[in-house]
Amino acid sequence: MSEASSGYLPLLARGLWHSYAQHAALRGVDLQVPQGRVLGLIGRNGAGKSTLIRALLGLLVPNKGYAEVLGEPALQLTDRVKERLAYVPQQPEAFPWLTAEQMLTLLGRFFPHWDAPFAREMLTRWQIPATRPLAKCSPGERQRVELIRGLASRPQVLVLDEPAAALDPVARRDLLREVALRAGEAGCTVLFSTHIVSDLERVASQIALLHEGRVLLHCDLDDTKERYARLWLPPRHTSAAPVAALSRRAQADGSMTLVIERDSHGEWPLAAQLPGARLDTLALEDLFVEIAA
Amino acid sequence: MDATLLTIRPSAPEPIYRQILEQLRRLIAAGQLAPGERLPSVREVAAAHAINPMTVSRAYGLAESEGLLERLRGRGMAVAAQGARTRSQSERLALLEPSLQALARQAQELEMAAEPVLRRLAKLLGE
Repeated sequence: MSEASSGYLPLLARGLWHSYAQHAALRGVDLQVPQGRVLGLIGRNGAGKSTLIRALLGLLVPNKGYAEVLGEPALQLTDRVKERLAYVPQQPEAFPWLTAEQMLTLLGRFFPHWDAPFAREMLTRWQIPATRPLAKCSPGERQRVELIRGLASRPQVLVLDEPAAALDPVARRDLLREVALRAGEAGCTVLFSTHIVSDLERVASQIALLHEGRVLLHCDLDDTKERYARLWLPPRHTSAAPVAALSRRAQADGSMTLVIERDSHGEWPLAAQLPGARLDTLALEDLFVEIAA
Repeated sequence: MDATLLTIRPSAPEPIYRQILEQLRRLIAAGQLAPGERLPSVREVAAAHAINPMTVSRAYGLAESEGLLERLRGRGMAVAAQGARTRSQSERLALLEPSLQALARQAQELEMAAEPVLRRLAKLLGE
């Protein structure tokens, strides 16, 4: 395992296909996350985000394709990799008979880099009931405990499936801060799935847009914001609409809205300069809605 | 300078590194950050706003290559000794470029002729 080399990929998926009964959840997904990056995986509910995460980590055997974590095949991870990997599922169910503190004390023994003071501090800060068994905690409380568990193990790879839903704004900001600093300073590689785009915009270095089992877009977040825009053409100019557009929508009044991309010289298509044409920069959420709607 | 002096709007169409760079340009050009003043560390800015440290480094790096900031010997960054006062007119005009482009774009969308827009602008500038 050569972590120092620049081409090292802690998370890698190649050609993943997976179906549930008649429904194709993944339709040929390739994904790579370089070390120290935070990849935000965006998609609507049912886009295949959780299936992709489970296949990436070897928790599900895909119909086709291959995945790797920290250089090992996802379906045959050794303990050495498992102790450096933290995965927080959407609906944690482990150890229902233990209290949060008991669970964290127990698990801490299995992780060589366990940060016990951090775990204790977060239990208080995130208001986890001290004496109640996990089975009696709310789903939000259980997910918060799992997030503490994931962070306290000081992982090299951190995978969070829709973590934001269980958190109030203060706890959410705490989590984003931890994610950002771990990635930027400790070189932790993070994959963070969500349909709440604004959470990603603070911390993500890259985004991947998963739509109907395919990755439609995977690039640097800053690039995404600078490279795409929405072009509105008045009815008299719709025939000049650029052919290469990520999405196009004819409006009821005869006008047209398109998502366009800068060319290799950084220029917008010529149609953007037509009289009456309107070019709007797109926030990430707008881009998501324009492409995935 | 305190890290919370920067305003970060994650959902704005402008990338966060550009927001930081733009604010540094303005604060330095306006003299609100004096030459020699220390900047908060990358970590402080990242932690204060829960943003990726790499984004902050990128903004600081660009500000350094523009000559706005200089790297201190030990660690960290400070406002470059020759900041605001020695800026040429063309450099200051370059700071206005994004706003001027936005204005031009809006005027075109409204299908305005240049003349009345320029007259109004001249008036706003007190001429």
